[in-house]
Amino acid sequence: MINTPSVPKPGESTTLWLIKLLTGPILLVVALIHMAVNHYIGSIGGLLSHAEVVAYYQSWYIPVMEAIFLTTVIAHALIGVRGIILDLKPAPALLRILDWIFVVVGVGFVIYGMWLLAAVAALG
Amino acid sequence: MNTNPNIFTRILSWFDPRGKTLGTYGFMLNRITALGLTLYLFLHLIVLGTLAQGPDAYDNFLKLIENPILKFGELLVVAAVFLHGLNGIRIGLNSFGIAVPRQREFFIGVVVLSLIAIAFFGWRMYFA
Repeated sequence: MINTPSVPKPGESTTLWLIKLLTGPILLVVALIHMAVNHYIGSIGGLLSHAEVVAYYQSWYIPVMEAIFLTTVIAHALIGVRGIILDLKPAPALLRILDWIFVVVGVGFVIYGMWLLAAVAALG
Repeated sequence: MNTNPNIFTRILSWFDPRGKTLGTYGFMLNRITALGLTLYLFLHLIVLGTLAQGPDAYDNFLKLIENPILKFGELLVVAAVFLHGLNGIRIGLNSFGIAVPRQREFFIGVVVLSLIAIAFFGWRMYFA
């Protein structure tokens, strides 16, 4: 293995690189809680019905935690995919178009996810 | 995209395990799990829209994912979360200059810990 610290790649700003890096540990913790509760801990091995999911979302801190998860996971994923694309050395014009697509997809899914969280919480 | 004719060969080489160093395996693992998890993330968000459609829509969807093939897909997601998450912690620490000379041992530890977690979750999903 190369024994040198990794750094932002060409075309990746330090800010985006830091966001990707710092959201990682937050995501690992929140993703494990999310997976454990939704799939393994609930009443009988997870949240196994619509009613159980709605009941789970009635505590104020659950939608807050899921909103943090939603925002950080979307930012981390799209910055990460952009990093993979940078490895393929795209032309600057194409990268600008892709950047706009990432912004639109990211903002769109965050808005959709927030709406879904609010809609599920309101069903209780 | 640039006109380098080797671009697809380079992408395909990420999936070719032959003649690679341990560091390259770590790189491949992070890339492949990242792409898989991103695809899953957006599909997961779209499918969760059934929650807003009411109990029938969501509960019917839950019945569908009892299928053993889809359950195996879920185990792949769990595996990707552990491998990408723990390997990501290694890369993150390395980026801040922590444990740089110990990357090899750190990577082996990441794989061993992930395999233990995957085995546990696999047992829990199929046999518990």
